[in-house]
Amino acid sequence: MHESPLLDNYTLPAANTIWDEMMNQHGVRDPYKSIADFLTSIPADELTRKEELAKRLFMSQGITFTVYSSGEGIEKIFPFDIIPRIITASEWDFIDRGIKQRLRALNLFLKDVYHQQFILKDGVVPVELVYSCPHYLREMNGVNVPHDIYVHVAGIDLIRDHDGTFYVLEDNLRTPSGVSYMIENREITKRIFPDLLPQNHVRPVTQYPNILYKNLKALSPRKISNPNVVLLTPGIFNSAYFEHTTLARLMGIELVEGRDLVVENHKVYMKTTAGLQQVDVIYRRVDDHYLDPLVFEPSSMLGVSGLLAAYRKGNVAIVNSIGNGVADDKAIYVYVPDMIRYYLNEEPILKNVPTYQLGKPEEREHVLQNINTMVVKKTNESGGYGMLMGHTANDEEIAKYIQEILKDPRQFIAQPVINLSSAPCYINDKLAPRRVDLRPFALCGPDGIEIVPGGLTRVALKEGSLVVNSSQGGGSKDTWVLAH
Amino acid sequence: MLSRVADSLYWMSRYVERTDSILRILKINQLSSQDDQENFTWSPVLEIFTELAPAEITKIERNNRKVLHYMVLDRNNPNSVYNMVMLSRENAKGVQDNITRELWQCLNEFYHVVRDPKLEKNLQTEDPVSVLDTLIRQCMLYYGVSDITMFRGEGLCFMNLGKYLERCIQSADILDVKFRDLSYDLDKTTDTTYWKYLLMSVSGYALYLKKYRTGFEARNVVDQVLFNTDFPRSVLYSINQLHRYFTRLKSDQNQEGYSKVDFMIGKLKSKLQYSDVHAVSRIGLHHYLTDITSDIYAIGNTLNQYYFAYS
Repeated sequence: MHESPLLDNYTLPAANTIWDEMMNQHGVRDPYKSIADFLTSIPADELTRKEELAKRLFMSQGITFTVYSSGEGIEKIFPFDIIPRIITASEWDFIDRGIKQRLRALNLFLKDVYHQQFILKDGVVPVELVYSCPHYLREMNGVNVPHDIYVHVAGIDLIRDHDGTFYVLEDNLRTPSGVSYMIENREITKRIFPDLLPQNHVRPVTQYPNILYKNLKALSPRKISNPNVVLLTPGIFNSAYFEHTTLARLMGIELVEGRDLVVENHKVYMKTTAGLQQVDVIYRRVDDHYLDPLVFEPSSMLGVSGLLAAYRKGNVAIVNSIGNGVADDKAIYVYVPDMIRYYLNEEPILKNVPTYQLGKPEEREHVLQNINTMVVKKTNESGGYGMLMGHTANDEEIAKYIQEILKDPRQFIAQPVINLSSAPCYINDKLAPRRVDLRPFALCGPDGIEIVPGGLTRVALKEGSLVVNSSQGGGSKDTWVLAH
Repeated sequence: MLSRVADSLYWMSRYVERTDSILRILKINQLSSQDDQENFTWSPVLEIFTELAPAEITKIERNNRKVLHYMVLDRNNPNSVYNMVMLSRENAKGVQDNITRELWQCLNEFYHVVRDPKLEKNLQTEDPVSVLDTLIRQCMLYYGVSDITMFRGEGLCFMNLGKYLERCIQSADILDVKFRDLSYDLDKTTDTTYWKYLLMSVSGYALYLKKYRTGFEARNVVDQVLFNTDFPRSVLYSINQLHRYFTRLKSDQNQEGYSKVDFMIGKLKSKLQYSDVHAVSRIGLHHYLTDITSDIYAIGNTLNQYYFAYS
């Protein structure tokens, strides 16, 4: 297999530095053998043609986002790498159990923190950390949510260290996105690699919208056979608009904007050609702070006036719940293993990345002294913004960033640079290793937690880069979970 | 159905209908310009379908390539094919969950076709009719896909309202453009190729040959384009379709709006049904057409008021 030119440039990192998904010191790992055989058996230019086909499919199906510059929209596709990323059945089993455990604890934490606050009174999570979190919403205190479920949809980001251990990098519990790419990437794979999926016993991901719809329907406050479920989008200018429309279409629910809704007598209605129609469940893809101009950001046009009051009255279900940001705050993240022990009396299955809170003087001291080996992040930013990569930044950038930190240390955490695992990508006619993470999507409903076997593998397409966010030059891959 | 969605479906389909109509007019004028290069001018087309000032029209009226570029691709012309396809797709984009995936992909591909730099080059250097045909084919594809795949519900009704309302206006406008050259004189005899091209631009040539055996006469052309109920682009046919799809929207929830619009469409329908070419020539064609189109615009406004208003 090594004779094939495709793998010429596949230089394996030195032992014990980076985990490569496809290869180890002895050659191709078992789960990748079949696909590696296939890739090296086809003519060299075949992959380039497949890559072009993939691009054309994305373009013609409008799986794009629009960048508006000088008044004219330009359609872009999120970069897609055609080589699938493979997760074995046993790895998936571990991930599946780990995420379910974590979500059970996080859900209990959210209920607790907006009700009796036992965990704060028992001193497991510091009170000041919760109250200083901008995503902790006092408006949610004492509000009962249907079935006590706060996190209906979660996208937990996992990474692998040099020995292949999975770590949780972030819990995305607000409005995690990317699931449409899990679904669409798979559709593209069906076209560019016909027959490979069944040959490799890859588990399907198409059931995701059906499970989500079943869960949404179950939340309806009105006990009627056909509750009105809608997906609330910020509109066509949002970069995730394609995802919103895909999910609405696949679930057969109405895609609404804030201007389509109105609240009357603490009930939410949508404006239709046949007058007002009551809305029971809102799967919203609008952030908390824009949901209701009467309570949050008064200048927001994306939300609906009076929505929060209707929600508090229990006349409408909102998914995910409001105020979840307190649980995926990067400073609170540190305490998730403790939450698992506190609420579930279990040992955490998935590990946290070791994290230093810069709000604590001794930890801050440690981080500032070792800043070259640290990744420093803002606790309330996402999308790869406001980060300092200590090992690549220059002295000036570091000095500037330290000044920022000292202004308000609570807003920062630091983690040792974790070498994300690498996976083969098709770049310049050759396979080359690039860093990846994994975001499986978990759905919590009254019947429990379900995780569709798959997820979004994000990949840092720049050589050596560790930043996988799409806003920072990242791409994605189809993710295969093997049945056995 | 959400009012916003109904509004978008209606406009999505209106823009395609208008695109189709303009493309056909351009094609036919391009062809007829080859017959009579001495006297041919684009000015009636430019006057009706653009907002250009008379001085600007004079500048380009005899330059086929310039006119075609302006009408098809100019970003600054709000009625250019380019802009209408953009608008139609923007409308579709906002209602993807209410149309079939095939229909969305069809409009999305149309959009990529009009944005293709090769199209612009070909329109300037190659046979323009081939370019126009490529675009017309995209419109045809849209009609086929929407007919075959769209579910028979409220959404399709609003799409058809947009389509037939726009078609009425377009057919009336085409007559207006063509008869302006003849100072609206229905008895003036003119070169038969003139009528041939007019009928071809509305795909009515074959029908005309079968139905009107007396050769090309202005009166017959007017009769076909206004009153022939077998002709899918006639004004009366379009009004009948408009009415047909509108009556499907009857519901208990919006009685006031329904009866208002129903009355207006019904009245216009009778106006056309109980009228003929003689009556038209007595009133004057231009006057007659203006009266019809102003009724159609009023129907559009009332639909907007009772069915689409949402903000």
